[in-house]
Amino acid sequence: MLANPKTLSFRLNHTVSLEALTERIVLTGFKLEVVSSSTERREFYDTFEWQAFGKRLVIVKKQKTLFLIDLNTGQQITSVPFSNNSASFFFDALPRSAVREKLSTCSNIRAFSRLCTLDTISCFYRILDDNRKTIATLTSESLCLSEKKSQGAFLHLFALSPLRGYEEETALITEALSTLDEVATVLDFRAQFLLIMRKAEHRVQGYSAKIMLTLNPDAPIHESARQLLQFTCSVMQLNEGGIKKDIDSEFLHDYRVAIRRTRSVMKQLKGVFDSSETTCFLNFFSELGKRTNELRDQDVYLLRKESYFNYLPPFLQPSLNPFFRNIEASRKPLHKQFCHYLSSNNYQSSLKEWEVFIKQEALPEVEQAPNASRSTKEVAVESIKKSWKKVILHGRQISKATTDEELHALRIDCKKLRYLLEFFSSIFPSETITLVIQQLKELQDNLGDFVDFAVQLRFLHEQLATMAEEKLLAASMGGLMTTLFQKQEAARLKFHKTFSSFDHEETSQLFHDLLTDTQT
Amino acid sequence: MKTIALYSIKGGVGKTAAAVNLSYLSSLLSPPALICDLDPQGASSYYFRITASKKFNSDKFLKGNKKIYRNIKATDYPNLDMLPSDFSYRNLDIELAEEKKPQKKLKKNLEELSDDYRFIFLDCPPNLTLLSESVFAASDLILVPLIPTTLSMRTFTQLKEFFESNKLDSSKIRPFFSMVEKQKKLHRDILEEFSNTPGFLSQTIPYNSEVEKMGIYRSPLNAVLPNSPASKAYRSLWDEVKAQLELPGENHAG
Ligand SMILES: Nc1ncnc2c1ncn2[C@@H]1O[C@H](COP(=O)(O)OP(=O)(O)OP(=O)(O)O)[C@@H](O)[C@H]1O
Ligand SMILES: [Mg+2]
Repeated sequence: MLANPKTLSFRLNHTVSLEALTERIVLTGFKLEVVSSSTERREFYDTFEWQAFGKRLVIVKKQKTLFLIDLNTGQQITSVPFSNNSASFFFDALPRSAVREKLSTCSNIRAFSRLCTLDTISCFYRILDDNRKTIATLTSESLCLSEKKSQGAFLHLFALSPLRGYEEETALITEALSTLDEVATVLDFRAQFLLIMRKAEHRVQGYSAKIMLTLNPDAPIHESARQLLQFTCSVMQLNEGGIKKDIDSEFLHDYRVAIRRTRSVMKQLKGVFDSSETTCFLNFFSELGKRTNELRDQDVYLLRKESYFNYLPPFLQPSLNPFFRNIEASRKPLHKQFCHYLSSNNYQSSLKEWEVFIKQEALPEVEQAPNASRSTKEVAVESIKKSWKKVILHGRQISKATTDEELHALRIDCKKLRYLLEFFSSIFPSETITLVIQQLKELQDNLGDFVDFAVQLRFLHEQLATMAEEKLLAASMGGLMTTLFQKQEAARLKFHKTFSSFDHEETSQLFHDLLTDTQT
Repeated sequence: MKTIALYSIKGGVGKTAAAVNLSYLSSLLSPPALICDLDPQGASSYYFRITASKKFNSDKFLKGNKKIYRNIKATDYPNLDMLPSDFSYRNLDIELAEEKKPQKKLKKNLEELSDDYRFIFLDCPPNLTLLSESVFAASDLILVPLIPTTLSMRTFTQLKEFFESNKLDSSKIRPFFSMVEKQKKLHRDILEEFSNTPGFLSQTIPYNSEVEKMGIYRSPLNAVLPNSPASKAYRSLWDEVKAQLELPGENHAG
């Protein structure tokens, strides 16, 4: 078989003009002729958590088509027509297609937001010999960010392809180009993508709400706690923008989790901070949490829309629409109000003060904060032990009847324990801590389901009272409530079984391993 | 892979013009294609602006395989490659005579390209030599351009006689009229006389001064002026030739 000549791909450092390159080619005695040029606009999308990137996918929109590209190879995987021009969209805005399938596996609740818009100018040249015979083709691609057009192209990519039988002539050109210092090797697609994102001032995978601290077990707990609080504070700040733009519900969710982590750790680590200083901050966070409760509730109902419809027989589904319309309508002013608060001086200055406070390296006075200088490891073991004992103790006290109040209370105990485990996870052997968290998560899921269903039932019941005259809606709600009640009862029934597996020798052994091994 | 020779004993009848345009059309309509310039004059190489590399010669051509691979060059048209001729080709028949089976040599060398091309076109020099015999054996079809004149028809008769006396397969021969000037009575009469002769292709190529300008364009006429009368005639001729090779029909383009 005939072999195809190899294409040479390279790039020019952005400081160099295209002319420098063409000059070199002309000096070899060959001529360069422009055949055609074209421009193309590409828009890149991903979620705030870079979930497409995490699955090695790049989402690109060109004109009215959305493409999925393999991050590693640069090959197009699949595409779908998409004419939506908004800055963000959810997977279900796409027509049913392989693209939609793939995006739903990246996230079915987070919006895909436009990261940047790239304008590319492509030029196609022929390189001619004395007979004006083409010996090679040269394609150039200049990339520039459309939002920074004035800065010009930041990347020039070239591909020099010899025609069959002209490899030797082309080698003369390659040789001439290799003497240009500005010529660098070509970037693979992934490196190209990262460069584009850097130019657009995005930190790829720069955000995660998951705790990823690396604590020093011997450092004073005061220092480790500040590390956590700085992290949760940054999570709050990073999510403010998305909350204001109302991109998706997860911005507020992550924001609220950060508040809860902040409060929970502050309250569980007694004597680490000077309480005369922290009381007002704790009040601020507690207030802040309360301000978002109702908004979050509405978000959650909207997220449940599909499952609510699916709970109902088809004939009862359409009559449920007014329920969601009401929620959307009441959500709007709540959102507006909270955004208003986020922009207020009051909020901004409180958060600033907090930032200053958690940056203070000096240990507080011993009288006010006697535990501040104790080692992280010591405090971790002690506080987790205490919190775990509490869960076991309270869990065992739960009666046969398994009342709502009992389960509510236990759920809160579990959350506290979970936050502590996650906060300190880096100082424990990762295998044991992962297992422990897994065991706890099972119990939390059960309790979470239970409480969620209870809350939903109560909410629906209240709604019904205000619009009882709409018979069909009432029937739909009735249908929903029946289902939710059944689910809640199922969760209740499951509790003792789930708890006893948590309160089991094996899990206890895990906690013992966790809390004793590290003390040595 | 099918091999099509453009051949005639007589010179200047339009072999090269047909080889260049038909190979171009086949590269568009049923790619990929290769055109081999077998004429030491190198007219078709000139039309494609290609010169053989200095290391290439008739000896390498006869060796075949890698030596040929290395000397195939891309034309400026995608899916159309060329094996250019070299001046040393003037000795091809002498060198062929030294081979064990000279008539089969070309066929053997071209078969090595069967995975690479759907069509190979041979632009032959005007004579009847050992190389011609090698071309006859290697070709699936032998297209013979005929200018409708008595002299031209006489050399065609010579060709047929040669095939008969050498027991060659004359069913491959497909004459067609070339450089036809309908205003000339002689042309009309000869066309009329041979209109129903079996083996003759019905499509004719008109005399068209644009064909001569190919030397200036240095491109196939069908690539530069696809709507000139000669270009249209070449397109129909290609359709007819393809049908002769019993290939499934393809859509018009180019
Ligand atoms: N249909 C045509 N109309 C007008 N001129 C033509 C036509 N076909 C060929 N010619 C011209 O006639 C001359 C000979 O044509 P061409 O080179 O194609 O013939 P050939 O058979 O290959 O010649 P040779 O035997 O020398 O290789 C060229 O100048 C060519 O431009
Ligand atoms: Mg010729």
